[in-house]
Amino acid sequence: MNTPPIAELKAVSKSYRTAGGHELKVLDDIDLAVHEGELLALLGQSGSGKSTILRCLTGLVQPTGGRVLASGKPLAGVNAESSIVFQTFALYPWLTVAQNVAVGLMARRMSRAGRDSAVEHAIELIGLGNYHAAYPRELSGGMRQRVGMARALVSQPRLLCLDEAFSALDVLTAENLRQELLSLWRSRESTLSSIFMVTHNIEEAVEMATRVVVLFPHPGRLGLVLENPLPYPRDTKSPEFQRLVGIIHETITTLTLPDLPPEPPPAAGQPVSRAHARMESIPYVPVAQILGLMKVLHDSPELSNLYEISDEIGTDFGETIAIVKAADILDLVDTPKHDVYLTELGRRFIAADREGQRELFAQQVFKLRIFHIILALLGEHEEVEADRIVRDIATALPYDNPEKTFETMIAWGRYAGLMDLNPKTRMVFVPKEEEALSHAPAN
Amino acid sequence: MTDSTSPQLQVVVPRQGFTWVDAVVMLALVALFWSALHFGKGMLVHFDASAQEPVDLGVSNIPYYAGRTLLRMWIAFAFSLAFAISVGYLAAKSARARMFILPALDVLQSVPVLGFLSATVTGFMALFPGSLLGVECAAIFAIFTGQVWNMAFGFYHSMVSVPTDMQEAATTYRLTRWQRFTTVELPASTHSLIWNSMMSFGGGWFFVAQSEAISVMNRDIQLPGLGSYMAQALSHGDHRAALWAVIAMIALILASDQLVWRPLLAWADRSKIELTVSQVPASSWVYNLLRGSYLFTWLGERVLRPLGELAARQGHRDAAPAPAARVLRADRLWRLAAIAFVAWLLYHVLAELVVAAEELRGALSWKEFGHIAWLGVLTMLRVLAMTVIATLVWVPIGVWIGSRPKVARLAQPLAQIGASFPVNMTFPLVVGWFVAAHIPIDWGSILLIAMGTQWYILFNVIAGAMAIPNDLKEAARVNGLRGRALWRTLILPAVFPFWVTGACTAAGGAWNASIVAELATWGDTTLRADGLGAYIAQVTRSGDTPLIIASIAVMSLFVVLMNKFIWRPLYAYADRRFRLD
Repeated sequence: MNTPPIAELKAVSKSYRTAGGHELKVLDDIDLAVHEGELLALLGQSGSGKSTILRCLTGLVQPTGGRVLASGKPLAGVNAESSIVFQTFALYPWLTVAQNVAVGLMARRMSRAGRDSAVEHAIELIGLGNYHAAYPRELSGGMRQRVGMARALVSQPRLLCLDEAFSALDVLTAENLRQELLSLWRSRESTLSSIFMVTHNIEEAVEMATRVVVLFPHPGRLGLVLENPLPYPRDTKSPEFQRLVGIIHETITTLTLPDLPPEPPPAAGQPVSRAHARMESIPYVPVAQILGLMKVLHDSPELSNLYEISDEIGTDFGETIAIVKAADILDLVDTPKHDVYLTELGRRFIAADREGQRELFAQQVFKLRIFHIILALLGEHEEVEADRIVRDIATALPYDNPEKTFETMIAWGRYAGLMDLNPKTRMVFVPKEEEALSHAPAN
Repeated sequence: MTDSTSPQLQVVVPRQGFTWVDAVVMLALVALFWSALHFGKGMLVHFDASAQEPVDLGVSNIPYYAGRTLLRMWIAFAFSLAFAISVGYLAAKSARARMFILPALDVLQSVPVLGFLSATVTGFMALFPGSLLGVECAAIFAIFTGQVWNMAFGFYHSMVSVPTDMQEAATTYRLTRWQRFTTVELPASTHSLIWNSMMSFGGGWFFVAQSEAISVMNRDIQLPGLGSYMAQALSHGDHRAALWAVIAMIALILASDQLVWRPLLAWADRSKIELTVSQVPASSWVYNLLRGSYLFTWLGERVLRPLGELAARQGHRDAAPAPAARVLRADRLWRLAAIAFVAWLLYHVLAELVVAAEELRGALSWKEFGHIAWLGVLTMLRVLAMTVIATLVWVPIGVWIGSRPKVARLAQPLAQIGASFPVNMTFPLVVGWFVAAHIPIDWGSILLIAMGTQWYILFNVIAGAMAIPNDLKEAARVNGLRGRALWRTLILPAVFPFWVTGACTAAGGAWNASIVAELATWGDTTLRADGLGAYIAQVTRSGDTPLIIASIAVMSLFVVLMNKFIWRPLYAYADRRFRLD
């Protein structure tokens, strides 16, 4: 390509300190370029680091390693040719619509008349005609995001960045805004050349983007790059469209739920004493959702496909995958390709009564290597400081957020009756037998 | 496009053209200017401590004295505001400055201001020899130190809690520091700043009343004002004049509340961070009236906006890309200057401390020091007794008021005014009653202390009771909770965090109040309680510098220790256990 990309990341990595002071690598060796005239969508689950990529690309965040280029030159400070539309709108409640839009021009030296007419133009362009003097709190969510867009467009950026710009809106409003933005971008009436959008919504990405990139978490790295040549306006029901969506689904599934060879089953009659050889990440999923998934699989045996399940339980795909993964590492389900089946154990689990379910769950949790390590530690001491366990988790699973993993482990452990946390002393302990039998609720 | 489907908004178009409201506002502004000048003139007159003009007890003079007091309050407030904003901004922006500022504020907050009056009065009088301005400055300084730390803390907190996305948006649009401050940070802090200012201003009345009539170095100094008027009236036994002074004081407090703070709060309602429309918007008749005025729109368009653009342009000139070396040098110079300033400050503070320590060593035996500490324990017991008694009395009443919205709307501002009223003006009256009823001041001073500080507990408890979510109340009713069970499971936990705030404020104020409550005069009788407050009051009168320093240091230490070992843990406990979210 002759013209350099409008914005580019070269071997960018980024680490943060978590609230607990642990170093967490969010991005690892990312190469990503937004080219002239393209609409690039970056897909990823929440927490995969996609917002960090957007912030690195625009200069809001300094990467820990690697380089950021803007039109081929190293980026210093904030990219003046880009602007951002935020998920939360980020409007200033004390400014009117017109004043909010004018914020986009504050950095420019221009005459008052020139500024007023530019603001006017942006407001008209984005369909806010009668709302100049209104305050954001008087507007609906969709209208607020329009103000956010007008503010982003008023400075005539060449690159527009959307940070989950539609995810806080209801379905119809979001669809409406997407179409308007697309036609605005395609009309080429403005200086707007490229759009870079970050989203967790697969259909949204395929509907809008000329190129889709999938980001995988822990730490964030690019998985799939998919050109999308479908002509606009795109029909979401067309087989071509569905094929692209299918490819992305499958990639996410195989990367998140790899078909690994099964663990050797424990010999019959012997007490389970061996943990898995692999060190699994713990998906941050409440127990109640795992139980819910089991029930859905049991009640609707015709459901086997991940996407159908996702539709059925009404969560977005990334979340569904996390739940399925949780059930998968507990061996309650099997996931060949993108299908989900109950295992033998899963069937027994569903048939069991409440106490039986708890026992099965405990038995399976006990096999998870990270639980095994922590429970071994708890076997030696009466109580262990939460901080020490968090440190151990951070060592064992360096790419996961140790505090979140810890919270999930405590939640699972509570349900299983294996371990509990005293919130006052911040000590983790193994509950006594009679306490464990008092049925901790699943959620 | 969706214009046709979305509901049309009623957007209030700003009024064009001047009306009678503008005339009234103009007149009011002119009157304000004139009175500021008129009362201000009185601050610059010649002053000789030995030949003071006595306060004239004629009732017709009250407006003049009230004006002088009010002017003092506002000058002090203006300084407090400027200081709070600049220090809060600095602390929020620079990690290095924060390291110094936050602990310093914390300690300064604990120093009993009244104990310092003697030092500041002599200092300022030396600065402006032969002019009343010195005494005025000392009074203003006392009010300033009474309100500024709290405001600076508040501003710092609201600065650091500006939502990240709003800051990021400002960065994306490359706002200059000044633009960011005026369009994002200051508006985002406005509501809490005004609320904090209102509370601090309310606390200021106590200090203004106290600092207008003081005895320093065995000399009585009187500043023309309501506080000195009251003192004079009481010492002459002129009860009619005293009553008028009380009425005038209440009128001043009410006027400040209605004409300044309520309209400001109503105006700042729009800058609350949350985007949802609040349930009960703050309202103020003055604000509604002023909204009809075109004058402010005109001023905004013709004066403020051009000024803002000018500032923005200025900012751009600064922001022009400078050669890297120059930036570096400017940065280094700035840092050097800052280091030099801090070093200079440290040197002086240390030098002062050494001098003070030398003096102390000469003047103060360990025995005396032990005595001061013992008095501190006695005063602490009084402060704690006040807190406990006020809690037992006001928590049930506050809860009763708070669960009846109609009563609460009436009672809460009243409690706030109660907290503002400088009860120290009326202490001599109460002491007169103590004398008549043979109540020992050792116990009576607890009542005196409570008179000024109990209100903080009351209105915080009212606020807490009002904030109990309705669904929790309904759940309690469905579960048949009543009596003790209801209090234990719902009311006390829900009110507790608010009570901690109120009790902490009350206890902080109580230390200051002890200085005026433990040593009180009624006509010719002077009652003196055993306590650190009385001790400080006495050494201040006699002007014994080493003892003043020692006793104030001990009291500050007590306050700091109480904060650390009582209030902080209670705050943390309330936050951990009883947060409603």
